[in-house]
Amino acid sequence: MVPIRNIKREKSRYAIDLVINGDPYSLAVKANALLLDVLREQLNFTGTKKGCELGDCGACTVLLNGKPVNSCLVLAVEADGQHVTTIEGLEKNGKLDALQEAFINNGAIQCGFCTSGMILSAKALLTSNPQPTEQDVRKAISGNLCRCTGYVNIVKAVLSAAEQEERTSHE
Amino acid sequence: MYLPDFDYHLPTALNEACLLLAQFGEQAKVLAGGTDLLPQMKNELIAPEVLVSLKGIEGLREIEYIQGKGVVIGAGATENDLVDSKLLREKFLSISEAAATMANNQIRNRGTIGGNIVSAVPSADLPPILIALKASVTLVGKEKTRVIPLEDFFVGPRRTVILCDEILTQVIIPDQATTGSAYVKFGLRNSGALAVVGVAASVILDGSYVKETRIVLGAVGPTPMRATKAEHLLIGKPVTETLLEEVGRVASMECSPISDIRGSEEYRRDMVRVFTERALRKALKLPSLEGMEDS
Amino acid sequence: MNKGDYAVIGKSVPKIDARLKATGQALYVADLKFPNMLFGKVLRSPHAHARILRIDTSEAEMLPGVKAVITHKDVPAKKYGISPARYDENIFCIEKARHVGDKVAAVAAIDEQTAYRALKLIRVDYEVLPAVFDPIEALAPGAPLVQEDYPGNINVEVHQSFGNVEEALQRAYYVRKDTFVGHRTYHSPLEPHGSIATWENGKVTLYTSTQKPHYIQYYMAHEFDLPMGNVRVVAPFVGGGFGGKTGPTDLDFSSVVLSHMTDRPVKMLYDRSEMFAYNRGRHRLIMELSTGVDRDGKILGIHANFIMDGGAYTGNGIATAYYSGALLTLTYDFENYKYDMVRVYTNLPGCASQRGHGGCHPRFALESQLDRIAQHLDMDPIEIRLKNLRKPNTVTVNDFRINSCELKSCIETAKKVSKWNNKREGMPSGGHGIGLAVGSYVSGAGYPIYRTNLPHSVALIKVNEDGTSAILYTGAVDIGQGSNTVLCQMAAEAMGYRYENMRIVSADTERATHDFGAYSSRQTLMSGSAVKEAGEMIKAQILQMAGEMMNVDPTKLDCRDAIVFLKDDPSVQKGFGEVAREHFVKKGLLLGRGSYSPPKLGGTFKGSTVGTSPAYSFAAQVVELQIDKETGAIALKNAWDVHDSGMVINPALLEGQVHGGLYMGIGEAIWEEVRFDQNGRILNPNLGEYRLPTALDLPMFHASTVESSDPAGPWGVKEVGEGATVPTEGAVANAVFDALGVQIDSLPLTPEKIWRALKEKERSHGT
Repeated sequence: MVPIRNIKREKSRYAIDLVINGDPYSLAVKANALLLDVLREQLNFTGTKKGCELGDCGACTVLLNGKPVNSCLVLAVEADGQHVTTIEGLEKNGKLDALQEAFINNGAIQCGFCTSGMILSAKALLTSNPQPTEQDVRKAISGNLCRCTGYVNIVKAVLSAAEQEERTSHE
Repeated sequence: MYLPDFDYHLPTALNEACLLLAQFGEQAKVLAGGTDLLPQMKNELIAPEVLVSLKGIEGLREIEYIQGKGVVIGAGATENDLVDSKLLREKFLSISEAAATMANNQIRNRGTIGGNIVSAVPSADLPPILIALKASVTLVGKEKTRVIPLEDFFVGPRRTVILCDEILTQVIIPDQATTGSAYVKFGLRNSGALAVVGVAASVILDGSYVKETRIVLGAVGPTPMRATKAEHLLIGKPVTETLLEEVGRVASMECSPISDIRGSEEYRRDMVRVFTERALRKALKLPSLEGMEDS
Repeated sequence: MNKGDYAVIGKSVPKIDARLKATGQALYVADLKFPNMLFGKVLRSPHAHARILRIDTSEAEMLPGVKAVITHKDVPAKKYGISPARYDENIFCIEKARHVGDKVAAVAAIDEQTAYRALKLIRVDYEVLPAVFDPIEALAPGAPLVQEDYPGNINVEVHQSFGNVEEALQRAYYVRKDTFVGHRTYHSPLEPHGSIATWENGKVTLYTSTQKPHYIQYYMAHEFDLPMGNVRVVAPFVGGGFGGKTGPTDLDFSSVVLSHMTDRPVKMLYDRSEMFAYNRGRHRLIMELSTGVDRDGKILGIHANFIMDGGAYTGNGIATAYYSGALLTLTYDFENYKYDMVRVYTNLPGCASQRGHGGCHPRFALESQLDRIAQHLDMDPIEIRLKNLRKPNTVTVNDFRINSCELKSCIETAKKVSKWNNKREGMPSGGHGIGLAVGSYVSGAGYPIYRTNLPHSVALIKVNEDGTSAILYTGAVDIGQGSNTVLCQMAAEAMGYRYENMRIVSADTERATHDFGAYSSRQTLMSGSAVKEAGEMIKAQILQMAGEMMNVDPTKLDCRDAIVFLKDDPSVQKGFGEVAREHFVKKGLLLGRGSYSPPKLGGTFKGSTVGTSPAYSFAAQVVELQIDKETGAIALKNAWDVHDSGMVINPALLEGQVHGGLYMGIGEAIWEEVRFDQNGRILNPNLGEYRLPTALDLPMFHASTVESSDPAGPWGVKEVGEGATVPTEGAVANAVFDALGVQIDSLPLTPEKIWRALKEKERSHGT
């Protein structure tokens, strides 16, 4: 008979509050629940992807208080009280974010699996640096692996979105 | 992959955290950014039964200048906090630049300077430059607090002098008349790479002579180590091409790299030679020979 | 008809699924959830070679939340594989495990954590056996036997001979013999494999991240003795395949069985380390290559003598064994060729097809060798290629018929855009280098993987009742390359319809149509042919009905952009929708059908079918780099690809494929390698140590095409997806050769390897 260790541990649930894409969510989670799994499995925000689970690929990137993090390495309890932005949160009132448009129009999406994380990393970049150089863009997305595009059109898309935002802000 | 079950504690004061650590001893681990801890747990290398989170403790993340002390970096400052800190960039740009070479952007938004030091992974990027800049660390235990030079903190791979009830709270970099300092990292790609070799150098010049210097090697020994023979070679001498080459050669003989998946012992040793020279050139703001960027 | 005359094709329309992917709405297999669903995991052998003495699943079965535990006792013992010639694999190991990671058992539980716990409770008694990890050692007498039915560990042996190579090498002015080693690499798509199986009334539906739903359907039906009609395979959105999602995985088989046993949907996913353990990536290849040329650099004969590390299971590695020799003859015209190869079993994960399938490592060998020969003859590397160039409408020495071939144009363009002449220096110095390589690849394989007379692609188009949309049904699979988009463009073009109104149902063996799937870069040409036929059938019916409505002879009408018009007076028109509606009312469903099978291709020698194709793409690539001579580290400066891809349906998507091909080739040339310890365990089954290049490691890539059209492809199309990876390792190696004058015979070109080569050079030159 296998002793089941620490039944208390398994039964412990922690009440947390997350603000996800601007909306408040109150959840009960286990200590070992990862933000990635809470998003995908409990809340059905499946746009955030699981690629490597060790923080090497960036497919699970979300913005935590505006900063890109690997949600596979964030315990849900550690995100308590904080703001999370997932890819689902970029579209506002049916209008796509300039980055999403730029990705679509610049051939920056092939299989699409890296896309969510890639766009969010780029979003954080453009928020803090609206006029990035190519090198700035490459640095910002260097934690997001893509197996399909060689990053060529992704870099073009981010620069194009920056340019587009620049134009819009002057109108 | 999954994380084993554990109990999670969220103390709101430092002493509370120390008491918890003392209570659970070997069964407990401190949770800061989690970027080293969680992968280890997922890979089933460790299975702590208790995690004590530092998230709820105020004041661990500040980076400030304290007169008489120097620059004090809270252990909870993330690596990107170090990259972006205006104060740090002004006073010790080499630390910000060292932080910028680490892992990737997402990891740097979570990983902390305290975690990077306490994890004591031989290839860690912050200890070498911090040691070169004479850093010391504050360790707070349930009963007492001590400050020790960072140089004396490491015992071996993933082993330090920290006691089970202690939490590293601050890194203190004292005021110093350094002429220049630099950290150069050799990784196998430009992002998401552990150091194959990392060299930090700090130099104080007196006119054109080297008055004081520290050369610290990372990833080529069980702990970050000072290349003391190489340092002695520089003291009291004017900096020349030949001298820098010799210093590199001597440093390469002082270290004890291993052969592993990232490089053979022979190659690492030669890279210590190359990067010691490059670190010194960068610290002294000399033009690089190859015209190559280091990272 | 030239490009300008087309309404839809030839244009870089945005991808039909781009918005879904950009908003996180595209559902990949891991995103799918079904009511009452269980979660499964596979137990894997920790030993490279071990007899399985006993498996005790009793404790696992008792764990609360565990619903089923299965081993080989619970599944058919029938062997499976990809090619019927080499069915050498079981769903679970029966007598022994043959590599670290080999599948031993599986569990289904109420959640992932319980499944992992259950795995730990399964007790397996192994008797560890001596293992072999190197193909040459595996061939030696007395080596441990990996597969009982294959003495000497010989999996496949190939001996092909054309002309007289011995004689050709005898009379050659210069003969070079080099031994090159290509390494084990892995596709590592960003999306892990996953399967969800669910049963209803004796029919199983398998959602799986695969490139080949039809073949998966076939293997499931074959293994479980089910009629094909009782197996439905669906590929949801697929996050990349690159050849690694072409075989049935243990997830596919286990989920089908566990779902049947529990009568609940069962979802099973690989984590990244399991992906590496499954592998089926590029073979390690030891390539002894002898090439003889005359004094002008014309190739007189080539002898390729290869040994392949095939790992423990064949998969479609049997095809790789033939492709590795077959594809070498495509780019150059020579009359004497000998190809000897032995594919060897070892106690490592199986190797199979990876982008470029057998084309890449041998190409690295031949292209490197040609540069060395060129140097010896004091010729520019481009000059020696031009000397030996494949011309259009020729037949290769191994009986592959080439129709269109614009290789000359590719090379000349590559030379121009890369500013080749300016950058080539006399003596290597400073670490700057530029290198060229050429390649060619099949546009779909001439023969399917199992012997069948089924057509290769079938397509169906249904126009809705009022013509405001048309649905294309195709079994073709979009794995990111954009086939859904391109096929809709082709459908719209053939119909005279608008791309924007196209809908697509694809990659579903029940809801769509039969198609062999995404491999050997076949879909644009083959699925496209079927789609074109289906579209033309729609258009014919539209013109017929419009003719009736307009009281005009249908031959005087044409249709474009969803407007039917009189050719002589285009202002006389009728809307496609109006005509379609009339057709629906008067004649019923407006349907178009198409089908494609390639003509009979290839010679009559053994293995002649592998390498056959209705059309071949050609490419020239140039890579420019800068090497840090102290560390050996390569900094890439530029990369160009100039492609002969026939008619280009969507230029932006083609460029994307070229970028990806270059990315993979460069990654494999410099950074990537699957490495093992002395016990056959993978040392780097993760994306930290299996180094894919990051955005900071690469320059911009430049993709362009040359004018071309192939009669075998609809509107003249050919492939690009794999041909863009074929030359890359060679181009990088040649750039290194140019930069440093050192000949490095093995991949990857790591800094340490280059450092060693430089030290060796110093030593031998005494500098």
